[in-house]
Amino acid sequence: MPSPPEVAPKLGRTVGFRAVQTESRATSADGDAGGAGSGGGDISRPSVSLEARAVTVEYPGVRALDGVTMAFRAGEIHAVVGENGAGKSTLMKVLSGSVRPTRGAVHLDGRPVDFGQPTDALRAGIAMVHQELNLVPTLDVAENVMLGREPLARGGVAVDRAAQRRRAGELLASLGAALDLSREAGLLSVAEAQFVEIAKCLASDARVLIFDEPTAVLGEQEASRLLARMRALRDEGRAVVFISHHLEEVVAVADRVSVLRDGALVQEFVRGDGALRDASGAAVDEHALAAAMVGRALGSIYPEKGIARDAQPILELVGFGAEGRSAGIDLSVRAGEIVGLAGLVGAGRTETAEAILGLRRSTGTVLVNGHARAFRGAKDAMRAGVAYVSEDRKGRGLHVSLSSIANMTLPSLDRHARFGGARIDKAGERAVTRRWIDSLAIRCARPAAPISSLSGGNQQKFALARWLETQPRVLVIDEPTRGVDVGAKAEIYRIIADLAAKSLACVVISSELPELIGLAHRVVVMREGRLVGEIDREGLAAADCEERIVRMASGLGDMKERTA
Amino acid sequence: MKTRKSGDGFSVQRFLERWGVVVAFALLFAASCWNQGFDFLNAENIRALLNSNAPVGILAVGMTLVIISAGIDLSVGSMVVLSAAVGLTAVNWLIGKEWSEASAVWIGVGTTLLVGLAAGSLNGALVVVGRIAPFIATLGGLAAYRSMALAIAEAGEIRSQSDALFRKFGREGIPLAWEVPGVEGAESTFRGLLNSGGRPLTLPYSIIAFFVVAMIAQWFLSRSRFGRHLIAVGANETAARYAGISVEWVRFRVYAVMGLLAGVAGLLQASRMNSVSTSGLGVAAELDAIAAVVIGGTSLRGGFGRVWGTVLGVLILGMITNMLTISGVSPYWQGAVKGAVIVLAVLVQRGSRA
Repeated sequence: MPSPPEVAPKLGRTVGFRAVQTESRATSADGDAGGAGSGGGDISRPSVSLEARAVTVEYPGVRALDGVTMAFRAGEIHAVVGENGAGKSTLMKVLSGSVRPTRGAVHLDGRPVDFGQPTDALRAGIAMVHQELNLVPTLDVAENVMLGREPLARGGVAVDRAAQRRRAGELLASLGAALDLSREAGLLSVAEAQFVEIAKCLASDARVLIFDEPTAVLGEQEASRLLARMRALRDEGRAVVFISHHLEEVVAVADRVSVLRDGALVQEFVRGDGALRDASGAAVDEHALAAAMVGRALGSIYPEKGIARDAQPILELVGFGAEGRSAGIDLSVRAGEIVGLAGLVGAGRTETAEAILGLRRSTGTVLVNGHARAFRGAKDAMRAGVAYVSEDRKGRGLHVSLSSIANMTLPSLDRHARFGGARIDKAGERAVTRRWIDSLAIRCARPAAPISSLSGGNQQKFALARWLETQPRVLVIDEPTRGVDVGAKAEIYRIIADLAAKSLACVVISSELPELIGLAHRVVVMREGRLVGEIDREGLAAADCEERIVRMASGLGDMKERTA
Repeated sequence: MKTRKSGDGFSVQRFLERWGVVVAFALLFAASCWNQGFDFLNAENIRALLNSNAPVGILAVGMTLVIISAGIDLSVGSMVVLSAAVGLTAVNWLIGKEWSEASAVWIGVGTTLLVGLAAGSLNGALVVVGRIAPFIATLGGLAAYRSMALAIAEAGEIRSQSDALFRKFGREGIPLAWEVPGVEGAESTFRGLLNSGGRPLTLPYSIIAFFVVAMIAQWFLSRSRFGRHLIAVGANETAARYAGISVEWVRFRVYAVMGLLAGVAGLLQASRMNSVSTSGLGVAAELDAIAAVVIGGTSLRGGFGRVWGTVLGVLILGMITNMLTISGVSPYWQGAVKGAVIVLAVLVQRGSRA
């Protein structure tokens, strides 16, 4: 496809006053030495400006982006928010060269560019920090950071390993990440891997860094570290593009926020005097962003907490642990109760949950309804009424290449098996899938199509529904709303609360504290594989509970006062 | 909410990804008809084509299932020769012990199938219990099973001592014509499909076995619990485990079934020749089987596949050989053409999943 001739920005197509203003500024970016930029970046450095001008992307049958004009400027953190399917990812793909616009063009420093492929964009200094980490697990940290840009020793054949390590070390140090350079990337935690990924982008001397949901897999502490680094990158004069579902983070860190809805830019907010402001100059918070995203005001996304009955404990852990990852956990969960499990990434929460099902080796005892059990796997646990919804929807929770129906019925397939499994009752499968689509309000037009065609929120509902169909009495849900947009989040919370009201015992593992506080009857906190504290219902209602959880999770102790 | 349906709208690329094998089959079929005229469409010729490809077809059907599970079985040719060698040795030994031909042959048949099943199960056990990559485990089988067969026959040929019965499986079949009693002492005549000599044409048991195996496999793949589990394991083993599927049991069974089918193929081959050449039988059969699977559109990455595609793949390879032979192309060059076809098939069908 030939690149379209330079397209004059059609100002009339952009919605929102601020975007128009951005446009006029961006076109004179080179002469903009006065530095009225609200980002406060270092203007003396060469400024870069990446723009999408009237970009439209059409897929067969769907217009993913509709005449979007947006400018990303050096020394600015520019957040792009929107519900799943609003076009954020498509826009980023256009900017990073993996999708060509149907109409419109990308301009770099005022000149139109045509990125045929991601490497072209990378060469132009635009790097994407991917949601899925793309490290080579068998190479070490230094090798990964310098991948594709290995410094060569004299002669130009062999890699100068010393220089490679030195350069990688510098880059990581500039990010404040002290990592062992000779560690294999496969052994890194998600947060560490993320820093390696960023260092990799810096190694390519990227002037525009696109962060796609960088904090989705991070705990609160790692996330705030990452945000601090993003600020530092901005202050070095780089353009930082930030996509996140965590609107509080956006409000905290972004200099400019563009809101996409149904493929169109609907509103922009710009930071001024320390707060994000809308076109009229009024300061806005995350609720206003959420309202702009969905196009209406949202009520509280958390349902009323039901009453946790004084019922019998259904799931009890006694001195339990996942071998090598956690130990000595005593916990009991009663019917109708939602217990939140908080902790930093790497505290051993997921591992403990997996050990309950027998997906990992365990120590200690699991009791279900008072009977000691040692499950040998998900099926074994399912028979006893224990189900686990994985945090890793793509890798573990669902088969993304299979249909929604096949995913829906996989754990409960025995129910549809006839003649000893020789025939599956497909009509029955369809009926069950249809029933769950109705009862959980899943938006799924074609249940026989691959489940990957659904949005994250709808996939997550299926991930839940497939286990609810097995009629569990204990449901362990790991990160129930990861990668799920605001509207679907509220629905998933509602579903979980309803389940508890129907006497299901729920354990919710989450790195989003507001979620745990809003949803759970009580929250237990894990640190380094141990249970270190518990916050009861009254505690959760108190204003300082988030702080208390953070302190427990990070080992600062409950007693240290917040004078620090 | 909009969902991105990249499947909407027609595109040649997507069409070929899905239906390329059917197009290729139709083109080759037409080309063969054009090339050979009605000689090709002759029932006897079609029968010969199917018959000669039935054993490798049976292997390819099993291979489809193995590959869908994201595995591979390189030992199929060696399992064919081992099962056939042991089976035929059993027949001869029993006949030597003055057993009746019938009991000796039927025990031999059972032995052949059991040896195949056992060899396949050993592959499965190595993969599942030993946690050895399928490629390596069955590479071991490729070497070991052949060597065992060679050892049994001291690298030679085993000739069947069964004069009549054993050869029936590979050579005979169901007659496709029936006798019409002639009028008043005249010679009786036949109605139905006749061969060039005017005698009834038979539908060989080999062809029947090939199609029955293929139909059962396709049914199991698309309609049974085992098939669903197989696809789930092949698409994402971890997700399958988290969904409560016993990944080990699924994988073990698919290798065991592969072994059993190798036994069936071995029986048909041994019976057709009424002997087993331990150095020649089943050599490179794994390559033909894998080629047919790939041409048929099954993803080597696992998680997606279709038996009917493999059946067409087998026939495509058969027709190509047939055409090349008739056109007088040297057998030495035929491999190059086949190789090109395999690569072409992958190129056309890659797209999103191959």
